[in-house]
Amino acid sequence: MKRIEKHPILPAEDREKVAFTYNGVVMYGYEGEPVSSALIANGIKTFAVHERGDAPQGIYCANGQCGHCTLIIDGFPLKSCVTPLKPGIDVRVMRHRPELPADDRPLRHYEKKEISCDVLVVGGGPSGLTAAIELAKLDFSVLLIDDKENLGGKLLLQTHKFFGSIADCYAGTRGVDIAVLLEKELRSYENATILTDTSVAAIYKDRRAGLFIRNKNYAIVDFEGMIVSAGAREKSLIFPGNQLPGVYGAGAFQTLVNRDLIKSSDRVFIVGSGNVGLIAAYHALQAGIDAVGICEILDSASGYKVHVDKIKRMGTPIYLGHTIVSAEGDSKVERVTIARIDKNFQPLLETAKTFEVDTLLIAVGLSPVDEFYDMAKKFGFTVMKAGDANEIAEASSAMFGGKIAGLKMAKKMGKEVRIDNSFSEKAKILKSRPGQIFPSQEIVLTKNFRPIIFCNEEIPCNPCTSVCPVDSIRLNPKLGNIMDIPIFENECTGCQKCVLICPGLAITLARKIDDQWAEVLIPHEFIPDFEVGEKIPLMSQEGDFLEMGETLKIQYNKKHKTRLIRVRASLKNATKIAGIQVQRPSGAHPLPEPNFDYAPDHSTVCQCEMVPVKEIVDYIKKHHVSDVNQLKKIRVGMGACGGKTCSILLPRVFGMAGVNWSEVAHGTKRPLSVEVPMYAIINEKQGE
Amino acid sequence: MKKYDVVIIGAGSIGTPLSYYLTKKGVETAVIEKEASVGRGQNRSAIGGIRATHSDPAKIWVCQRTIDIVRRMKEEHGIDVDWLEGGYLYPIYTEQHETKLKKLLKIQKQYGLNIDWITPDAIRELAPGINREGLRGGTYSSGDGSASPLKMADAYYMLALNAGVDFYFKEEVLSLRRNGSRIEEVVTHKNRYQAGLIVDASGAHARKIEKMIGLNIPVYPDSHEAGITEPVKPFLKPMIVDIRPEKGSANYYFYQNKEGQVVFCITLNPKIPGLDTDSSSIFLPMVIKRMVNLYPRLRNLRVRRTWRGLYPMTPDGFPIVSFPKEIDNLLLTVGMCGQGFMIGPGLGEMLAEIIVDKTDQYNEILDQLTLYRSFRGDEILK
Repeated sequence: MKRIEKHPILPAEDREKVAFTYNGVVMYGYEGEPVSSALIANGIKTFAVHERGDAPQGIYCANGQCGHCTLIIDGFPLKSCVTPLKPGIDVRVMRHRPELPADDRPLRHYEKKEISCDVLVVGGGPSGLTAAIELAKLDFSVLLIDDKENLGGKLLLQTHKFFGSIADCYAGTRGVDIAVLLEKELRSYENATILTDTSVAAIYKDRRAGLFIRNKNYAIVDFEGMIVSAGAREKSLIFPGNQLPGVYGAGAFQTLVNRDLIKSSDRVFIVGSGNVGLIAAYHALQAGIDAVGICEILDSASGYKVHVDKIKRMGTPIYLGHTIVSAEGDSKVERVTIARIDKNFQPLLETAKTFEVDTLLIAVGLSPVDEFYDMAKKFGFTVMKAGDANEIAEASSAMFGGKIAGLKMAKKMGKEVRIDNSFSEKAKILKSRPGQIFPSQEIVLTKNFRPIIFCNEEIPCNPCTSVCPVDSIRLNPKLGNIMDIPIFENECTGCQKCVLICPGLAITLARKIDDQWAEVLIPHEFIPDFEVGEKIPLMSQEGDFLEMGETLKIQYNKKHKTRLIRVRASLKNATKIAGIQVQRPSGAHPLPEPNFDYAPDHSTVCQCEMVPVKEIVDYIKKHHVSDVNQLKKIRVGMGACGGKTCSILLPRVFGMAGVNWSEVAHGTKRPLSVEVPMYAIINEKQGE
Repeated sequence: MKKYDVVIIGAGSIGTPLSYYLTKKGVETAVIEKEASVGRGQNRSAIGGIRATHSDPAKIWVCQRTIDIVRRMKEEHGIDVDWLEGGYLYPIYTEQHETKLKKLLKIQKQYGLNIDWITPDAIRELAPGINREGLRGGTYSSGDGSASPLKMADAYYMLALNAGVDFYFKEEVLSLRRNGSRIEEVVTHKNRYQAGLIVDASGAHARKIEKMIGLNIPVYPDSHEAGITEPVKPFLKPMIVDIRPEKGSANYYFYQNKEGQVVFCITLNPKIPGLDTDSSSIFLPMVIKRMVNLYPRLRNLRVRRTWRGLYPMTPDGFPIVSFPKEIDNLLLTVGMCGQGFMIGPGLGEMLAEIIVDKTDQYNEILDQLTLYRSFRGDEILK
């Protein structure tokens, strides 16, 4: 079974399993988990077989948006990532187009469901929840919808502690725990209604939205105002082999690993060194999956330095100035190849390195899900956007931004609301990109513990300063806001609070034992594979091996779900020791010789309809294409996802065909944004 | 100043094929289009049905010619436009409709159409799973069918380009400069054009164009809504047209295209006049209820996309194809009443013969479609 049986942060309980069949073979899974996850846990990674070229399809969005995971479940073609497992179901692979079941019972029941509310909040992630809370507080009737079973959005996938400030956005608390707090608060308001497992299928001109509810109903909502907090979707990437099962987004990976506790892979490679890619590597390691490497096309990593450092300490190399060359394998990813780039960002194939992995995660950025906002704006509705749908940033800033959006919406709807002037300033800081990096100071240890702070890049974060009982950690006031660097002065009680709360795991405590030895207390978010007395590899801030140190004590702090490892190390290294290596270097090595077949034409642009890049480029040239809509003829954007994946790639594809994107007419976006079965549209009762 | 033999306003269902047929006959032709590519007016909203089974000789003749052309498209030009000869089926559930359609059948047969009354059993063969409760039979015309509007638009675009037509996209006609009985210039915001003949193929925008030269053309667009499902294996052969009216809507129709997707469309009643093409919340529940009622197994199909398109209507439901008396160098090809997609190819080929070869063999058709008719008649079968 490919399940995560123990996890340092998440509760991995062994529940009773139920039986189902896959192509006639009996398998077991948890009742209620997505069928796709149950299958992956049983080692099944190929779902549908696409009509075009018999291409195998694996999990792709894990989010109900694409159609890659469609399977024939009890005779019906269903997206398995949003279909809960029930005992005894019959699951079969879908080859090509499905057969329409001959369900010829006459129509018995028809109902038009209508709902009304003051404000419709689309998306119950960090910004949607805080926006809805503000509006509910001000007595508006709020309808918050979310397409997942549980509220929280990306918070639910975030096992790490949050950046930001404690006062404004729960800094130092883990995302998964913040989601619970916010949901509880929203549910305490009677005038707030929550619909989970519900998507917006369309925004209509007559100021209504069509909602697809729990896979079986469709309701039309009449609203006064709308807040779009639908988050972001992951950008896709063009490279040979990008259509293979095993290539998917970091978000889909986190869904499988952190939400469903599925050990979806043994070894992953990651493209992109933003916070999403870095955290995906960290989550992989926490789940017992090798994070073999991260490649980044730029010459520096783009995430927070504390994340970058942490990943390097754990033993995952980051290959800067490298691009993905190909993903290859027999019907699934078996190896990936990367190479250095030249000044035109083209791979230098003579520098290629091949890694044996079963999964390639794409983490090359996010794009806002703001089409509902655009549509509502076009129709002249009262609408606001918040969180990633507004601007891609950390969840800490999304929470604060949601609060502001809620207040602004209240104001637009005629409520007298005072919005504190400091709010917009704070919001701006919380979404700041990292600033300057400062050199570390020399530290001389004494017999008393003191914190060693490995946080020398300006980021919007300050919980360490809030928790120190004797106020010995403060921000060095250069900018005068929470972007400033924390510094330690005066005394330390050794209380460990700063070590436990730091989201970047960038604080240790250290003290001198004698002239040769020191004691260091290191935060560790892994289940230790070592015991007291054992020697373990100690790493510098930026991931260099320093020495093998002896484990003196392993403590577990339940509240913070963090382990504190007390080690004995040499005095000369003690102030440099920042962490413990988790993944042994051998696990991250490339093959001795690169092994790849470079075929750039074999890249896929439209994943739903399997349209290769070459076909599009040739078509653009031959048919004088000046309008994205013309590509519909070769099925680009005509699939289940409605162009959500490929539209972001088109500027580059037009560029490849020698056409300037700025002169190309954009594709028309039409409802529906998710496919809705006819029985749901008419609210026909099922199974009667 | 650009000079052509013929300048066509509108690269849609009508203008694009016509440009091809004219150029093929050696006429220097330009097409001016305000959108960025061909077929971006109402052509893109067409669901793809092509039938010759109308109730009047002009449309019967023109659409028969379209079917001939589309049927031969692959053979003649090597272009696959997804032609499916699935026929049109009108299942009948009321006595009144049975009487009406049987009466019409006689007329249609007179015009040589391949159409017949078929039994409920025969209907079930064509459309397995259709609701048989109260089904009295229906008319079926096996020679009708469907093609992909996207592929058709592109096919004619490529044929026209290769024949030498000049297309001017993203150019909106700002004025038609009239001097007495001639249009001297077509002025866009980028260019000026002179031509021996100007063809107005501006679809839903005909009134706006013709007002520029003081003509009052009775073309009033109204909205129809359409949708398409996910693809499934072929199960349904013909286009099904349910002519029973219901509160809020008149007829609706659907078929399964070559990709395996079911495409459907409904006629709203009362009509929603105007040029607005944004979807409203009424459409989906209304049409889906009717479709599942008629064809229960559709319930498990997922609707993928919906859209609204315009039917540029004339008062009597027939197109206007006419050389107006007031202007010497103008041809109106407007008011296709939602059937431009199926009329375009046949009409284009015919008009090229009229314009270039000066043939008079189509005078009867032109008489029926003239601007100077009474517009008081009403089409028997819409």
